[in-house]
Amino acid sequence: MFQVSHVSKQYGKTLANNDITFSVDDGQIAVLLGPNGAGKSTIIKCIAGLLRFQGEITVCGMDNKSIDAKRILGYIPEMPAVYDLLTVGEHLEFIARAYELENWQQRADELLARFELTDKKDKLGKELSKGMQQKLSICCAILHNPKVVIFDEPMVGLDPHAIKELKKLFLELREEGASILISTHMLDSVEDYWDIAHIMVSGMFAATKLNNAQDTHEESLEELFFSITEGQAPSQAE
Amino acid sequence: MKGIRYLFLTTVKNTIKDLKNNPGKLVLVVLFVVLIGITIASSFAPAGMEGQEYRKVEEVYALVFVLYAFTFVTMSYKGLSSGASFYSMADVNLLFQLPVSSKRILFYGLIKQMGVSLLMGGIIFFQYGWLSQTYPISILDMIVILIGYGVVMFCAQVTAMAIYSFSSGDDNRRRVIKGIIIVVCLAMAAYVAYPFLFDQSDIINRAVQRINSIYLNLVPVIGWSKQAAVGVLTGSYLYLLAGLGAVAAYVVLFLALITKSHSNFYEDVLQATEVSFSAITAKKEGKVNDVMPKNIKVGKTGIGKGRGAATFFYKHMIENRRSRIFLLDGISLIFLAVVLVFSFTMEEADLLVVFIMATYMQVFSTAMGRWGREFTLPYVYMIPQSPFKKLVCICLETVLKAVFEAVLMFVLVGIIMQASPLEVAACILARIGFALLFIAGDILVERIIGGSLNKVFLMFIYFLVVILLCVPGLVIGGILSSFIPLVPALVTTLVMSFVCNLAISALIAFLCRNMLNYAEINNR
Repeated sequence: MFQVSHVSKQYGKTLANNDITFSVDDGQIAVLLGPNGAGKSTIIKCIAGLLRFQGEITVCGMDNKSIDAKRILGYIPEMPAVYDLLTVGEHLEFIARAYELENWQQRADELLARFELTDKKDKLGKELSKGMQQKLSICCAILHNPKVVIFDEPMVGLDPHAIKELKKLFLELREEGASILISTHMLDSVEDYWDIAHIMVSGMFAATKLNNAQDTHEESLEELFFSITEGQAPSQAE
Repeated sequence: MKGIRYLFLTTVKNTIKDLKNNPGKLVLVVLFVVLIGITIASSFAPAGMEGQEYRKVEEVYALVFVLYAFTFVTMSYKGLSSGASFYSMADVNLLFQLPVSSKRILFYGLIKQMGVSLLMGGIIFFQYGWLSQTYPISILDMIVILIGYGVVMFCAQVTAMAIYSFSSGDDNRRRVIKGIIIVVCLAMAAYVAYPFLFDQSDIINRAVQRINSIYLNLVPVIGWSKQAAVGVLTGSYLYLLAGLGAVAAYVVLFLALITKSHSNFYEDVLQATEVSFSAITAKKEGKVNDVMPKNIKVGKTGIGKGRGAATFFYKHMIENRRSRIFLLDGISLIFLAVVLVFSFTMEEADLLVVFIMATYMQVFSTAMGRWGREFTLPYVYMIPQSPFKKLVCICLETVLKAVFEAVLMFVLVGIIMQASPLEVAACILARIGFALLFIAGDILVERIIGGSLNKVFLMFIYFLVVILLCVPGLVIGGILSSFIPLVPALVTTLVMSFVCNLAISALIAFLCRNMLNYAEINNR
């Protein structure tokens, strides 16, 4: 699990995240929803340890910037993180060596096959399309079997097969007990598998909805989202 | 036409307004204006001491030729690969749809480009200080040289566009044009260098004479523009008219080639603009483009070595191999060649002058190391290794390059200048020390400021920091050299600067050891 406690992040005069507190349990899928500029990517980058922030973030009880926390953290950025001059296969080898993984080859091959990258194994990063780069980015982020995985707009640029595989992967990771956080503004892409949804507006959580009987909101996730971001439900808006 | 005028004026107005929201840019603009003011004001100061001996003004004419040649060749050459474009993506998407003659659109692009060219010329203008101390030239002469530079830039853009529209999609044509450019450059270089194969005396004067000869003055654009500028400086208006006339005819001819030979130049411009736009976008997204050949040979695959943080070093080695960099990259090789040529012309001068010049250029080559690019991707932050180990390992490739470069450069300089082995060893050591210091300066700037400022301002701060860091080593070295009479002063100064630079670099590395835990990813 991971816990975010009173995290604030400021860029110059802009308060991108304002005193955010939430946690994601083991075997839980949380989604961060919100319009453009709501602060979703900022909090994701704070959790991944890529930004300075005020407050505290722990991963399985450890400070998120500690080496032990990094060992069990996986992050898929919005812009694919790919080296131009390394081949697809070398990206996975790089991760395996840097994370000091043993017997990683079989898992790497499975991931490549799953995301239809096997025949691209000797292609350079710069030769891949944006969608393929994103698939490679996903493979790199989960090769080391992380216990906490955070995805920043992971569906953008993916083909239908990859989207299907990614959704399957979310569910598998949940079954394995991982804590998963997915940031998106595409509501329909998360409708079938989320456990908890946080709706962000102007750097803060405007609402939290549970996908079970304990939830107190009467509206659907989509209705709740539009009522917060537009002040009314979509049917009324039309 | 009203639309184009509105677009042009509004863009200028909004650029000025935007400075208010962008302190980094504003400081740069203010600094730029202040420097221009100081340069102009200094021209009114009393002239040097009476009877002061200047160097021959013909050397300035030769320098102008070299500057124009470098500018024209490098800018025109761009037309062969990426394509040079006057237009932004917004121009292409909005302006090209307007019911306005394509010639007017082309004219708009040329005017816009002219402004950019002159702005870049400001850097040349700042050289007035040392030029006026060395040569008998006035501020007006400098302005004339600058206008000539703007004209050359403008012609180079037109040439690049013509080359692009003539050769795009046709590899054979591209090869022919490339061949012509290389042959012309080699011919010019050979013409200047040929006499020195037989007689190496009085190199500077004889090289200046060759560069100012009638044959090189006839080289299109470069020679003509230089001759026009020299015409103004010497009051020979025939030269001015001939040079200007030839350049004007060249521009008209090439514009006609672009507009007539291709009934629609939009298609060529569109491709060129898309290429430059993707490069600009990549930069905005913080993705530093790798310098790489067009056709990369993948070769042997697999990293093969390294575990933990050391993997970064072996990854860099593979990236270098695929970029066809074997220990030294293109820029380092150019700098090496410049230093060697410089030392060749400085027969009687001090080795220290060559060392200072080489160190000045080293500031740029060190800032281009592969390690800086790691800050733009998440891996270096996320990989579960000690942040200090990661910092050291990502810099190793640059350090290795610096050591190799130092040895190669100063062994060759030592041979050319007949320096003693002790002096050569001291230069090598001191250069390695400066390389470490510059890397440390870069790390320090990244640690303190990171990605929160624009790149030009960051570079400016980097220069300031590097200058400040250099001072202790040079001062201590200079003082100690007077107390150690048995060793040459140069050797003492350089060795002491190495010791100080090493100590400062180590201190910075120690203070920034956790930087990768607290720095922010540099891709906003």
